[in-house]
Amino acid sequence: MSKDQQQADKGRLHQLQQDFMAYLLQGEPGPALADRLKRQIRDQGGISLDTRIGIYANAYRVRLTEVLETDHPNLALYLGDDLWNTLTSAFIQARPSQFRSLRDFGDALPDFLRQHPQFNQDPILADIAAFERRLLNAFDAPEQPRAAFEQLQGLAPALWPGCRLRFHPSVQLFKCHSNAVESWQALKQGQAPAAADYSAQRAWLLWRGESRLTEFISLAPYQLALLEGFLAGEDFATQCAAMLAYVDADQAPVTVLQSLQAWFSMGLIARLDPGRQG
Amino acid sequence: MTNTVITQPFLGFGLGLRTQHFEHVLTQQPEVDWFEVISENFMVGGGKPRYYLEAIGERYPLVMHGVSLSIGSTDPLDMDYLKALKQLANQVQPRWISDHICWTSIHGINSHDLLPLPYTEETVRHVAARVRQVQDFLGRRILLENVSSYLSYKDSSMDEWQFLNAVAEEADCLILFDVNNIYVSARNHGFEPLDYIRQMDPRRVQQIHLAGHSDYGDYVIDTHDSPICDPVWDLYSAALTHLGPVSSMIERDANIPEFSVLEQELAMARTLALQTLPQLAADHGKHHSAGLPGQDAKRMGSL
Repeated sequence: MSKDQQQADKGRLHQLQQDFMAYLLQGEPGPALADRLKRQIRDQGGISLDTRIGIYANAYRVRLTEVLETDHPNLALYLGDDLWNTLTSAFIQARPSQFRSLRDFGDALPDFLRQHPQFNQDPILADIAAFERRLLNAFDAPEQPRAAFEQLQGLAPALWPGCRLRFHPSVQLFKCHSNAVESWQALKQGQAPAAADYSAQRAWLLWRGESRLTEFISLAPYQLALLEGFLAGEDFATQCAAMLAYVDADQAPVTVLQSLQAWFSMGLIARLDPGRQG
Repeated sequence: MTNTVITQPFLGFGLGLRTQHFEHVLTQQPEVDWFEVISENFMVGGGKPRYYLEAIGERYPLVMHGVSLSIGSTDPLDMDYLKALKQLANQVQPRWISDHICWTSIHGINSHDLLPLPYTEETVRHVAARVRQVQDFLGRRILLENVSSYLSYKDSSMDEWQFLNAVAEEADCLILFDVNNIYVSARNHGFEPLDYIRQMDPRRVQQIHLAGHSDYGDYVIDTHDSPICDPVWDLYSAALTHLGPVSSMIERDANIPEFSVLEQELAMARTLALQTLPQLAADHGKHHSAGLPGQDAKRMGSL
């Protein structure tokens, strides 16, 4: 067979795959595309060509909708059936999967909600979606051994000021200006969420503990500042200084130390990077 | 074609490992000979999925089953995917790696479905060339599974079993023979499933899948959400008669029941296999005085 013929054959297969995928993606394909695809399908009797292609088109949407439902159960509850269906249909239409795993399909859902003219009127929706993505990320982040508080205690005092922390890969911060997490918790417990509240910023810490359970807690402003600093690579001395904005000078080192002790016991710390002796 | 057997030893009777059963499998160590895992579900950094995979892999033989290879696509092979697959295989050390004879993506968009190919000489060449590339990259033969389908193309110039055998021969790959998919496609396309089974090349079939489906009367959909029906069990017996002992497993992907329910189905597969294949029964008898195989089936699987 000539190279030209091989190219032509491959082109034919390519066109078929292109048409088939376009049919799946379009939801309500135009007659030209539908006719082009149907012309390539054998009429075997029994069920119609429309039914045959429709099985694939339906399965495509059902599969992607189910993934979003699995990953965002409480966003679905918050929205209710009608709005959830509107959202999933619009998202599936706008953001076809470019992922090898369905695990990642909903990654863009929070951004989509922020940009969508109907849903961006309620910023809490994007916040709930973002929180649920963070939970997924904490669930399957890479594993790493955790460091114990005794390692810090065993460090020479002269090394403490320059000491930095390396966090477990599952550790994540989540900040929002709504009561998204409180609403998520209410829905999880089968209760109706309170009305959306945008009065203050909230901050949450998510991580996967040593028991492999995904956990989260709310953060006071000083805890957020402390965590953000250490996550950014700041050292112990810098973070003690940062605490002066929240507590008295004599309380700053104690505040940092108590927080660190808690973080070690929660399994947040993977490693200590001791500072250099002055 | 030679008569040399190229498949790996019979592993016995396995189940698809699903999240709902991780803890049960790890703590109860049920008498299942091996587990099949969905490759893409474990292409993550760590967490619960990888923890359980590693722990269960220490106790049971594993095989890896992929859904995103898109071997029939006209897109270039996704080398990032293949690298991730190879990396996972290096960590899991599966007995073998499988995917489907279909296409799933085009222009980088993944349908996450197993879409049918036209069965032509050209497609055989196209798919076989890509399988060889994949096998060269992975450094091992792969298995390709026949998929359930709901339509066929005017361009097709051969039957599905001819296509499957031709690709396997030209690419020198192996076959994962899904008996339920044959039943589903036979109902949807109106062919005789026994014809399909009897045409399969026994040298290349290394694994069998069994599963349930949804029957809508006029057509049947491969949903993996219900028990295996009697006609599929009958086809399984026929397949074993033709193929001889083949490592067999049950897939359940929706409406996932208690583990014990799947164990009962697996016991059915064992019973049928022992009834169908006297040589398997003879091997089995060396280790058992009564009852269904458990640990002994593992030993049998390693013979």
